[in-house]
Amino acid sequence: MFLHNLLYEIRTGIRTKDVILWLMLFPIILGTLFKASFSGLYETATAFSTIPCAVVENKENELLHTVLDSVTEGEDALLSVTYADENHALQMLKDGEICGILYSDDRLSLTVDEEGVKETVLKSFAEQYNAQQTVIRDTMEHDPMQLQAVIDALSADVSPITEIPLTQGNTDNYTAFFYNLIAMVAMYGMITGLHITIGSQANLSALGARRCCSPTPKFISLAAGLLGSYLVQGLCMVICVTFEAFVLKVDFGERLPLVYVSALLGGIMGVSLGFFVGSINHFSENAKVSLSFAVSMFFCFMSGLMVSAMKPIVATHAPWFNNINPAAIVCDSFYYLNIDSGYDRFIGKLVTMVMISVIFTVLGAVMSRRKKYASL
Amino acid sequence: MNTVIQIENLVKRYGELIAVDHFSLEIQEGEIFGLLGPNGSGKTTTINCLLSLLAYDKGTIRIFGKEMTPVSYDIKQQIGIIMQNVAVFDELTVYENIDYFCGLYITDKARRKQCVEEAVAFVGLEEFLKFYPKKLSGGLLRRLNIACGIAHKPKLIILDEPTVAVDPQSRNKILEGIQELNRNGATIIYTSHYMEEIEQICTRIAIIDKGKKIAEGTKDELKHMIRNTETITIEVLGLTDDIRRQADALPHVYKTAYDGEHLTVCCSGGKHNLIRILDVLQKHDIGFGRVYSELPTLNDVFLEITGKELRDQEG
Repeated sequence: MFLHNLLYEIRTGIRTKDVILWLMLFPIILGTLFKASFSGLYETATAFSTIPCAVVENKENELLHTVLDSVTEGEDALLSVTYADENHALQMLKDGEICGILYSDDRLSLTVDEEGVKETVLKSFAEQYNAQQTVIRDTMEHDPMQLQAVIDALSADVSPITEIPLTQGNTDNYTAFFYNLIAMVAMYGMITGLHITIGSQANLSALGARRCCSPTPKFISLAAGLLGSYLVQGLCMVICVTFEAFVLKVDFGERLPLVYVSALLGGIMGVSLGFFVGSINHFSENAKVSLSFAVSMFFCFMSGLMVSAMKPIVATHAPWFNNINPAAIVCDSFYYLNIDSGYDRFIGKLVTMVMISVIFTVLGAVMSRRKKYASL
Repeated sequence: MNTVIQIENLVKRYGELIAVDHFSLEIQEGEIFGLLGPNGSGKTTTINCLLSLLAYDKGTIRIFGKEMTPVSYDIKQQIGIIMQNVAVFDELTVYENIDYFCGLYITDKARRKQCVEEAVAFVGLEEFLKFYPKKLSGGLLRRLNIACGIAHKPKLIILDEPTVAVDPQSRNKILEGIQELNRNGATIIYTSHYMEEIEQICTRIAIIDKGKKIAEGTKDELKHMIRNTETITIEVLGLTDDIRRQADALPHVYKTAYDGEHLTVCCSGGKHNLIRILDVLQKHDIGFGRVYSELPTLNDVFLEITGKELRDQEG
């Protein structure tokens, strides 16, 4: 009887229009829109163009020629070099045609007219060259095959786009929106949770009344409903994470399986919340559906789904709220998984999710086990 | 005959309102028992109390000789319920819906499959097995609702206004089906505010108004409870009060009414009432149109007992 109920709970769950729309299609559409929007922003923020500079050779320097030839090749060349005499170079600098002048003697020296990222890169290039010219020369003489690798390393060292290796994963602001999107799907689990009680309470639906008249004990009916909803919600979470990770190529770091674990627990938490809301006795079905949407959107808003600055604001003014906001808890679990090398904070969030799930499931079950109704 | 349902002194209050007022009832095995009353008379509330869905304030309810409680699973196993509101899953096909509800009663797969197929055939939904409920017409939807309630072959079937918003063809099919279920051994409780349906299929009837049982018996017994044995209606124009009073004074006539077009004469017993009335009209050289003679209906019973019409109460 339990399996019969479970089978049909799953079957109805995955065919429910609300579930398909809000838990499967909507996150995919929203995620795609996020990706389209943020890709443009990200590229603008991190776009790099070749730095124009002049080289004034006070002394013939074959090694410098070799290095400069290497860093000026290709579409993403680091430098664009003009060989000139000093006056011409100074005029170009004054006219803004170049960002700096590299003077070649035994060492490289630099003249710039402004301070900025490009000037800093030129300065860094000069410093790296001076520091490594002996290594480059030795490589050129003794192992010319490795010369390009050495020059590439020099080029990489002075690149303006440098990942700061303090964390394991991606910590940019845009990824947080995708974390929030997963949290939103988890919160929409309230809808699936709500259907369990609506479909089993005689005072909420004709279906509930018919089920209550059957010889299937309510415990079995509710247990099958809960498990079925967890599985359907789990499927939605897996679809969402998989779509973000493998289609949108969102960088979740190196511990993707744990992202799935966290998302699944988040989904279970959402279902439990919906189950609890559904079992509150004094609201109509429509009121409960509206309440579930309102609550889930409020949690998502406070965790930064709509306005990324919201979460830090909450963290500053009501830090306790982030510890009980289910959407923020889901987001934080991803965040900690990504930035922490250890698991302590991540596990803490998982434990919180489990606790919330257990509390609301138990409360919902206690309130749903009412056998007779005062009115229908 | 065994008593299937025994309700004694049932009282259900909603705050100050008494929805069911000291209601008692006994239904025997093999009956089609009709609960007739206007909307809001307490029929559905009585059924919900009977099924232990509603808590009640006073009284006892026994089904198959046992007290009915929310955990009387052995009793529930033998009951089929067809609610007033269609109770099916929009997300499941016709076959899946019947299979699901049948599965709440029957765990054996092979037996369940057979029961589902028989229920499908019984309500005539063979061609719609893969249809989703939203694709069905109102009548077909009601038939699906019935199939979901009877697939497990219950001994007691409770139908709460199953023909609301159903076309005449489907309504007849449903009523014939109920009689067939009864012939197959099921005891039926049928609630409705459509007196024609109750008259057509029920072997015994209880009339309810304001939560109280106001009459009970077979339809003939009920009709014998009232004065009226015949109501004669004659299309006639220009009838004077004097002539109407002459009709009123005829033997066995206890009431007449004239609305300018129709003369209505209520008779209590007697023979040849119609001829005597027509004689009066002929004597005064008054032409008349169509003439109807109707035997009393349950509406007349309800009207005479409560002073109001059943039909007036229909929503």
